[in-house]
Amino acid sequence: MALSTIVSQKKQIKRKAPRGFLKRVFKRQKPQLRLEKSGDLLVHLNCLLFVHRLAEESRTNACESKCRVINKEHVLAAAKVKSRFLFLSKN
Amino acid sequence: MADHNPDGDPTPRTLLRRVLDTADPRTPRRPRSARTGAQRALLETASSRRLSGQTKTIAKGRSRGARSIGRSAHVQARGHLEEQTPRTLLKNILLTAPESSILMPESVVKPVPAPQVVQPSRRESSRSSLELQLPELEPSTTLAPGLLAPGRRKQRLRLSMFQQGVDQGLPLSQEPQGNADASSLTSSLNLTFATPLQPQSVQRPGLARRPPARRAVDVGAFLQDLRDTSLAPPNIVLEDTQPFSQPTVGSPNVYHSLPCTPHTGAEDAEQAAGRRTQSSGPGLQNNRPGKPAQFLAGEAEEVDAFALGFLSTSSGVSGEDEVEPLHNGVEEAEKKMKEEGVSVSEMEATGAQGPSRAEEPEGHTQVTEAEGSQGTAEAEGPGASSGDEDASSRAASPESASGTPESLQARRHHQFPEPAPPPGAAVLSSEPAEPLLVRCPPRPRTTGPRPRQDPHKAGLSHYVKLFSFFAKMPMERKALEMVEKCLDKYFQHLCDDLEVFAAHAGRKTVKPEDLELLMRRQGLVTDQVSLHVLVERHLPLEYRQLLIPCAYSGNSVFPAQ
Repeated sequence: MALSTIVSQKKQIKRKAPRGFLKRVFKRQKPQLRLEKSGDLLVHLNCLLFVHRLAEESRTNACESKCRVINKEHVLAAAKVKSRFLFLSKN
Repeated sequence: MADHNPDGDPTPRTLLRRVLDTADPRTPRRPRSARTGAQRALLETASSRRLSGQTKTIAKGRSRGARSIGRSAHVQARGHLEEQTPRTLLKNILLTAPESSILMPESVVKPVPAPQVVQPSRRESSRSSLELQLPELEPSTTLAPGLLAPGRRKQRLRLSMFQQGVDQGLPLSQEPQGNADASSLTSSLNLTFATPLQPQSVQRPGLARRPPARRAVDVGAFLQDLRDTSLAPPNIVLEDTQPFSQPTVGSPNVYHSLPCTPHTGAEDAEQAAGRRTQSSGPGLQNNRPGKPAQFLAGEAEEVDAFALGFLSTSSGVSGEDEVEPLHNGVEEAEKKMKEEGVSVSEMEATGAQGPSRAEEPEGHTQVTEAEGSQGTAEAEGPGASSGDEDASSRAASPESASGTPESLQARRHHQFPEPAPPPGAAVLSSEPAEPLLVRCPPRPRTTGPRPRQDPHKAGLSHYVKLFSFFAKMPMERKALEMVEKCLDKYFQHLCDDLEVFAAHAGRKTVKPEDLELLMRRQGLVTDQVSLHVLVERHLPLEYRQLLIPCAYSGNSVFPAQ
């Protein structure tokens, strides 16, 4: 729907929420549950924030190791740190 | 003067001029007169004021634009006529002839009367000026107009005179004179007025803003240069927008590790190309010792040859090839490279280019990866990752690209590791099989898992892109894959939590309250930060309207609570 402005990246990020995708995922996971109308938007919001936090943490890790590229180790470490919110067991 | 010289008696004048030239330039007028009279280049020194005046008139005749100057010069000349000096006498002699000629230019110059009228006024001023300071100025004025028969020179003189006048601090009233004098001085010293003009001309290039010498980046040449100079430490920037290329990761790696027996020309060509692309991958896996120097030198040539024919992909590939042979067999690699290089160049130019071009976008990414991999060749870790990335990218590219490019890539893959002797024949045999396998499975597989995987991955890719966007830093492919896995797990956990919350509330439908509770547990929503605040921050307007109840006209609230 709304296109984000080009902040610092050359590519444009579509902020449109993949509502169909989210609905499908939820249905596949929990077929017995139903998701409300605007619920998927909040799920999308949650995902956005999660990804945001994860990216920030990964970026911090990469900067600490003085790498100019984010490595998968950075991402893993970030996920482990942030997993306390979501994951019962760390990746 | 020039006018009269041809018209009048050139001999006496020329002689006199020469005499005057040799004489000291008492006043710039001389040069002026000389110029005006005879040739502009000639600068007579110690020009009599009379002469200067005449020259001024002549100059005026020549250059109508310099009337003002001419007038002043003329006036000055007349003023000078009053004085009696040897030079003036000589000048008078010259003037006799020019006098007649003066008429001609004057006649030619219609506005003669006007300037003449002005001249007397100037005469007086000129006299005063003469006595005051720079009699030289006067002659300069005469000279200036004379010399500047064409507009340019006049302007030059003016400018020079102005400059000199400014430098000398001449009064404004005498500017024309002063300028002339100044110019005459300069002219007397230097045959031309070019000197004052030089700064201008010099200034022009300085002032003129040349467009930055930027030319369109030639990727091929660029890559070629990179390879030539050294294994530039490229960043493993994943420009490839294709997120996932895992399925074929393994196969290309195998290819890399395999030493490719030199195939015939066609294959060689592909091999070379494949090697390049694959070199980074397998080379990395083989732990390149980082001896690019040797191979680079030898292969640089080949690379150059290739690069010319190829697009960026090829150049990157060649670079990779260089890296690879380092490990396995320098000699073998060199030989093969050279052989293949020739054939490759031919082949590539023809066939490879087509598919390579088709794969350009991928190739670019591959190239970048290859370069990056090359750069990191010494570093095994990043090298391996880049190699994997390359492999994965290549894997992805074949999938995305048409069949031909895939086949080419496959061939390249197994042709690539020629310089790698260790793997042996077994690998070779597996090579042909693997590329085929690689090609076949994706097609039948995609039909099956595609409906399940692709949409799922497409949806996840959305968040993966968001991740890279939030990170604001280049990321590796493996990192993106890791992000994908994290997202997968995250979704699973999310659904479980929502189920728990809904069940806790005795509902079978997940409501926004459950979501809020989830976010509160995550620490995103606090007493200070409410859900609505987050919604406003991160979601676009359309979604905000749907989520946040807002009062509308008619005492209605949407969405209804």
